[in-house]
Amino acid sequence: MVFNSYSFALFFVLLLVLHNLPLPWKAKKINLLLASYLFYALWNPPFILLLWISTVVDFYMARLIAREQRSAPRKLLLTVSLLLNLGMLSYFKYGGFLLENFTALLSAMGIAFHAAQPDIILPVGISFYTFVTLSYTLDVYRRKAEPEPSFLNFALFVTFFPHLVAGPIVRPEDLIPQFKEPHRATTQQMTWGLFLLSLGLFMKVVVADTLLADSADTVFGVPFPVQPLDAWMGVMAFSGQIFCDFAGYSTCAIGISLCLGFVLPDNFRYPYASIGFSDFWRRWHITLSTWLRDYLYIPLGGNRKGAARTYINLMITMLLGGLWHGASWNFVIWGGLHGIFLCAERLIRDWSGKRQRNFAEQNRSGQVLTGTVAQASMLPVSWNGKLGNFGLALLTLFLVDITWVFFRAPDFGSAMRILLSMFGVIPNGAALLTSLDILKVSSVTVILMACHWAMRNSSLVKLGARLPWWLLSLVWAGMLILLILTQKSSNSFIYFQF
Amino acid sequence: MTPLLKSSLLTLALVLTFVVGWELYWRSQNLGLSYNDDESLWAHTRKEIYRSSPSRPVIIGSSRVKFDLDLATWEATTGEKPIQLALAGTAPRPLLTDLANDPKFKGTLIIGVTEVLFFAPDGSFPEREATKRVNFYPKWSLSQQISFHINRVLEPWLYFLDEERLALRPLLTDLPIPPRPGTWGGPKFPKEFSIIQSDRQEVMTDAMVADTAIQHQVQAVWVDIGAHSPKQTMPDAMVTGIMNSVKKSVDQIRARGGQVVFVRMPSDGPFYEAEKMSHPREKYWDRLLAHTRTPGIYFADYPALSKYRCPEWSHLAPKDAVTFTQDFIPILKQKTGWPITIRSTPKPALTASLPPHP
Repeated sequence: MVFNSYSFALFFVLLLVLHNLPLPWKAKKINLLLASYLFYALWNPPFILLLWISTVVDFYMARLIAREQRSAPRKLLLTVSLLLNLGMLSYFKYGGFLLENFTALLSAMGIAFHAAQPDIILPVGISFYTFVTLSYTLDVYRRKAEPEPSFLNFALFVTFFPHLVAGPIVRPEDLIPQFKEPHRATTQQMTWGLFLLSLGLFMKVVVADTLLADSADTVFGVPFPVQPLDAWMGVMAFSGQIFCDFAGYSTCAIGISLCLGFVLPDNFRYPYASIGFSDFWRRWHITLSTWLRDYLYIPLGGNRKGAARTYINLMITMLLGGLWHGASWNFVIWGGLHGIFLCAERLIRDWSGKRQRNFAEQNRSGQVLTGTVAQASMLPVSWNGKLGNFGLALLTLFLVDITWVFFRAPDFGSAMRILLSMFGVIPNGAALLTSLDILKVSSVTVILMACHWAMRNSSLVKLGARLPWWLLSLVWAGMLILLILTQKSSNSFIYFQF
Repeated sequence: MTPLLKSSLLTLALVLTFVVGWELYWRSQNLGLSYNDDESLWAHTRKEIYRSSPSRPVIIGSSRVKFDLDLATWEATTGEKPIQLALAGTAPRPLLTDLANDPKFKGTLIIGVTEVLFFAPDGSFPEREATKRVNFYPKWSLSQQISFHINRVLEPWLYFLDEERLALRPLLTDLPIPPRPGTWGGPKFPKEFSIIQSDRQEVMTDAMVADTAIQHQVQAVWVDIGAHSPKQTMPDAMVTGIMNSVKKSVDQIRARGGQVVFVRMPSDGPFYEAEKMSHPREKYWDRLLAHTRTPGIYFADYPALSKYRCPEWSHLAPKDAVTFTQDFIPILKQKTGWPITIRSTPKPALTASLPPHP
């Protein structure tokens, strides 16, 4: 079930009524759990079995791990849990990809091998709920958390429908404590939750699907080069689309949870106003980046094992993060590019830090190079000023957009063709987008960037509290009216396929 | 009352006011209520194919069979309503392949042939659009089916729930923005052109039938589409490839006991002339029937079917579709020998609403 559907509207209204009936807390939790299973099963009922397997195995494995004191059996139990979760993920998500590459490898070695095409359907949200259950087992293994004694609380933590299929990727400490005590939304939570739901649907249905998707699909869908303007517009359209689609989903999920009285973690903080890539990853898909940091980067050694290992760890984390998004080399390249940009940023920061320290030392000992001072004063802007930061944010967005080409293009050849078209390397490309398309994409891009820049150090809650109530109402009504004008859109969210 | 609650109440009032005003505005425009002819309505109709019979055939094709075969008249004549799967502006071949590959489909199939669309090559826009519908059907989730049924309850009451004509996307397309040189935004039909009924019947609106200015606008759209269509003739090998694939599908259906007929609906004026030039009958239609060994009904061969005029050169007006269907059924029965039950003797054909076909 997608949030932008009539079936969800009916489901949500019925669930809100049930959740607000004077029932015992346990009954309400059972309602939520059953509703979550229904929410998932309405896509493809058999896949609910995978969810059940993952839930049951991880619940009992975590208990066994916590009870076991000896290191080897603990490791064995953890391995069973990892094998099961990652095995299911690998089979459903990467089975075809692995077979395809294995065939290509054999073919490159001159061995003719024709594997039967596996007809594997990817269960919706498997990457998300696998990471949710893994974080629980790993936390218990690392003795960071106690195993949850209540199966109901644990099953609801894994299955709670707002986050189930596309995040935010919750940790045990985010949700399980909230299930222990009765929760019901206050009037304030309910209204703010409905506002967030409206905002998320507006981002998805109006901006991503109606204003941007067509232009991105057109440019990325043709098998020939396009004019630089078209290529840039296509990439900017996708850049806006992926943000509004995914952040729209997260905003809906947070809003829906709030209407039920639960708080989910933030997943986006205006990422297109990021200054640098480490800032970007503190603002984009925050729950994934922190998951990768805590369960991959830090266990690999993080930055504790010297400079070279830090860079290697960063690259491994980003390459695997790319692969998490999908079984394609393009996602690996996307992750790799982010890894390279993160490494480059770290190098520059280290170098600049070293330089500043040297400068300060020389300053203290009276050896300031007058030439350097003169050079610095001739620069038109200071990188630490607002204008400089804005320039750096634009540079970051430019590089992020380059990486989106690999994320969106169906294959490497198409990605290269778009990139070459963007920089005018391929002459005589076709003009594809109409004046209306260009107007839509450029307006949305400018508005989106302005919003991100204005909100960079703020939050919606703060903005909501600052705005006069009637102005908030006008904005809210405007979004809902555009949503109604756009009408039903049952397009799936892009991140469902991950 | 908290400021947030005040905001939400004002929002509710504003949105309700807008919805009522918007609905009243579109009702005042006399455009007629139109159902969304989307993937779900198509999939819902597709589920019916296993109950097809000569009196209740499955119809695939492009827009002409949707306009020209009047389902209510068919039902009044035979007692059963056909299953309308035709898709406007698309090639029916992906649908034919889909039905042929469905082992449970053993029914009766009418295939509308609009040559320029029927013979559109694989990968072309008309072929891709039809393929999208075919691919959607097996993925039609339970959730989408529930949404579809909720939508079915709302649609008859709310004019503005018309995605094709009144949603944000078509409204934006109507903005008077100068075109970018070298690009084409696709055909822009006037809103008054046609409406879709709940059984996927497509009919011209009263305004369209009455107003020659709107008819001219649609004629201009055909000219525009013609100007943006590929000019080169299809290589013979490609035509043969298409014929072979059609024959394979037809044979598959026949092997299971199914029956197939091709029909060529009327077109008119410069459109018909252009079609005769671009897709000569002997090279396409005659060859298709011979290659697939399948019966066919070409409107021009039957005085009862060729007496009609198309107001915008390509489709029949609703009144003519009624008599056309009444005339068509006996011809179909005679041509194919299918055991079609004709409950009432078709009335003598009414005089066509436009002057006779030249």
